[in-house]
Amino acid sequence: MCGIIGYTGFREARPILLDGLKRLDYRGYDSAGLAIIGTSLKVYKDVGEIATIEKKIPAMKGTIGIGHTRWATHGGVTKENAHPHLSCDKKTAIVHNGIIENFQPLKETLLKKGHIFTSQTDSEIIAHLIDDEYTGDFQEAVFAAVAKIKGSYSIVIVSEHAPGKVFGTRKESPLVVGVGDNENFLASDIPAFLKYTNRAIPLDDGELCVITHNTVTIYDAHKKPLKKKEELITWDIKDAEKSGFPHFMLKEIYEQTDTIHQVLRGRLSEIEETITFTPDVEQLLATNFSTLHIVACGTSYYASLVGKYYIEKLTNIPVEVALASEYRYYGNHNPNALVIAVTQSGETADTIAVLKEAKNSGQHTLVITNVIGSTATRVADSYILTQSGPEIGVAATKTFTAQITTLFLLALKTATLHHTLEPADTYTYIIQLKDLSRHIRDVLQRNDQINTIAHHLKDATSAFYIGRGVDYPIALEGALKLKEISYIHAEGFAAGELKHGPLALLTTETPVIAIVTPSPTYDKMIANIGEIKARGSPVIAIAEDKDTEIDKHVDYVLRYPCDTTDLSCIVITVLLQLLAYHTANLRGCSIDKPRNLAKSVTVE
Amino acid sequence: MRDYPMVKKAVVLAAGEGKRLRPFTETMPKVMLPVANKPILEYVFDAIREAGINDVLCIVGYKKEVIQEYFKDYTKLTITYITQDKQLGTGHALLQAQAHVKEPFILLPGDNIIDSQSIKKLIDTPADYAILIKKHPHPSKYGVIFFKNNKISQIVEKPKEDIGEYISTGIYKLPASIFLDLDRCAAQGIYALSTVIQTVIDNQKKINTTLADLWMDIVYPWDLIHVNEVMSHRLNAAISGTIEKNVTMKGPVCIGKDTKIYAGCYIVGPAIIGDNCEIGPNTCLFPSTTIGNNVAIHPFTEIRNSVIMDDVHIGSNSLVSHSVIGKGCTTGHTFSTLAQKTTIEIEDEYKHLTTPIGTMIGEDCVIDSHVTVHPGIIIGRKCTIGAMTKIQQPIPSETNVM
Repeated sequence: MCGIIGYTGFREARPILLDGLKRLDYRGYDSAGLAIIGTSLKVYKDVGEIATIEKKIPAMKGTIGIGHTRWATHGGVTKENAHPHLSCDKKTAIVHNGIIENFQPLKETLLKKGHIFTSQTDSEIIAHLIDDEYTGDFQEAVFAAVAKIKGSYSIVIVSEHAPGKVFGTRKESPLVVGVGDNENFLASDIPAFLKYTNRAIPLDDGELCVITHNTVTIYDAHKKPLKKKEELITWDIKDAEKSGFPHFMLKEIYEQTDTIHQVLRGRLSEIEETITFTPDVEQLLATNFSTLHIVACGTSYYASLVGKYYIEKLTNIPVEVALASEYRYYGNHNPNALVIAVTQSGETADTIAVLKEAKNSGQHTLVITNVIGSTATRVADSYILTQSGPEIGVAATKTFTAQITTLFLLALKTATLHHTLEPADTYTYIIQLKDLSRHIRDVLQRNDQINTIAHHLKDATSAFYIGRGVDYPIALEGALKLKEISYIHAEGFAAGELKHGPLALLTTETPVIAIVTPSPTYDKMIANIGEIKARGSPVIAIAEDKDTEIDKHVDYVLRYPCDTTDLSCIVITVLLQLLAYHTANLRGCSIDKPRNLAKSVTVE
Repeated sequence: MRDYPMVKKAVVLAAGEGKRLRPFTETMPKVMLPVANKPILEYVFDAIREAGINDVLCIVGYKKEVIQEYFKDYTKLTITYITQDKQLGTGHALLQAQAHVKEPFILLPGDNIIDSQSIKKLIDTPADYAILIKKHPHPSKYGVIFFKNNKISQIVEKPKEDIGEYISTGIYKLPASIFLDLDRCAAQGIYALSTVIQTVIDNQKKINTTLADLWMDIVYPWDLIHVNEVMSHRLNAAISGTIEKNVTMKGPVCIGKDTKIYAGCYIVGPAIIGDNCEIGPNTCLFPSTTIGNNVAIHPFTEIRNSVIMDDVHIGSNSLVSHSVIGKGCTTGHTFSTLAQKTTIEIEDEYKHLTTPIGTMIGEDCVIDSHVTVHPGIIIGRKCTIGAMTKIQQPIPSETNVM
């Protein structure tokens, strides 16, 4: 996802735009640019991170402007392809996030009319299209241009033709208005303006917004003015800072003792032995659906696989887990299925598309997300928030454990609603959930040991993670964490699958991380470890504190403190996060901004 | 009289462990010990802010992540963390801040509670050097200040006997030139700040003294109970959460967000209950009880003058009196602490306590039902204690008692 900001107000726009872009830049970008209107419209753009570009940007006077940080989807990473893009008369500048699907035919038409393009991006056509529609009323031209484009977008526009105004519109890509005093903002995410105001209005699909220094006017797709309520943002800009931790990722790993409590907060009663969700969620879970479909992408998909294990174990309701990008085209729209979408940002394009189609085909929909007011919460019938606060590190950590915990709560609630669980078992699970935080705290105390073991991983070119049952998706997630931040090739496998292929890849230089929990498959895991040891690969076992057997079979043991088999996977996740973190750190990797990755993927 | 420049920065020392406060400091630095549901360090930060300073350099070391994680949402101050890798001494700790301090500043230990008035007085002292002092009945654990002709003549660090009457709180106003003195001493292997200050005195520089109003130190685990008592009396009542019918509350009571107090509870303030707690039916809380966040107290339990830290579960029909229960502990039903005046052995010394004392339990202990603990017993961290046990001896950390 690209970062977008627009400003109009009483202050110099340049420092505000740069500051805003820096706050969005944590997501990892490859180029950036600004357009500011002073006496005339001026643009500066370049390749690189915003902090590097900043020094090169000349003084640009003016109190109105737009800015952009880009993560390339169309066209290479070049200065020309960086935003903002200009119209031919250089009086109108636009920034864009998303994809214009019909840009080819539009571009051809515009070329015929004599427009000259300077980039290979789909975005540039927007500036030319508005210019082409302009006949004296700039706002009308914006409306007309937006009506012609197809695809997903958030767009912010300034023009010398419309002094003092900034225009914004969105479809399937986030855009939020920040309402200040005598100044207003438009941005793709709230942290961009949170330093100046905590009053925000998220725009909905198809809406168009015009801000001046003291007005905010929002229109629907039919140009009808809308009244929309401001939301007060209660989290602070400080949330988006590192608090002395060397990386956001490490800070967010340490936050998990707290975020786990936040997930449970107000939802769990030890005295009454109950689980509570909002009435609409409870009503949905009480419905007599025959099956559950969980759809997600990336890390959320792995959390969903754990969720499947929980729901099937506690409720006996069959669960199908699918990648949103697959389900969207190949999924079956069983009308008796409850569709649960898991998305951290609530903006993941493929996941939202699934929700929309599920709704259209009459299925009930529920979303588990971290972001209130996100597109997903507005599309689905109901939503459950993971209440974890903003996550800055591109590698998901606290939101992953929060998703698993939420899915466990959901399984437990569904089980009590469908009477598939003994009350005594419900109580045991409630206590186990409440004890999770202290087990995580205990794992964090073992940070130094984990760092020591990371030395055995850091020089590997390839590493494998294995687990069984609920630990299989944890192996997948552990491998994902390692590969995305340390760039070591890593794969997770169900331990039983090793001999059906992956064993061929093992060498004496390929470390294998084996998650060995005290479960009915413990002996099978030991046998699998035997197969690996026979190939001479070093094995790092993740084992419970009380396990005295494991040392005989492996090279290194990392221990975790938790005797509850179902939820121990959350504690193990924290351990694997630290292992990946330290490995990446020892390799000198850019942990918070891994190459080629962005935090939330709002393109398909 | 010449003008003295404004003090804009504070250096807070928070790198030490606090070994005498084990088991509680096994997993967190001393500055993070909770008093009336707030870490000591937060009292220091709040006082600095109220005294008009916005910028803090916090020297961290032992278990620094616990501090950084807790204060991630603290917005009243700009906090810059500086890591002291080896805890060699207070002078060495201060030296870590050298690159960040170019003007007069104040220096505070992060592990003593202090009020903003005292800091304000210190800042406003018309002198380059000033120190906050306090009258103390047992000065031998501190730096004792001696005067000659109304001027400080000597600071004696931890004298063997209780001599003198004023102690150094370790809170100073200092000019940036102190770093030159620190450097010079460090070159000779001297890392104790009081020794460096002594060289300043010996060089005929004048050091003003100011009396501190509120200043409190925690030396031993049982001090937590007394300090908690004093600080909880300073709080105003504030109630959120859900209170069921037939709950009696007298005196100042603080109840946090998402906490539920069930019917029949009898609460006498000062009492503080954190966020997201469940206080079961017919629980009685007497002064001065502090309960952390995410705590569940099961029905018919009595708690008096105790500190219950975060994430604790206490079983029904229990009695917790004059005790400290560490983070994440679980007790079964009918858990009893016997409280009495007693003698406790610590660091090969016998301490006779003049007030009743119950038990002090480290983090993450799991205690089964019907366990009774004798007065003054310290139970370590991560212990497991079987049902129907009577605990009469101190228990070291990570021990199973069956």
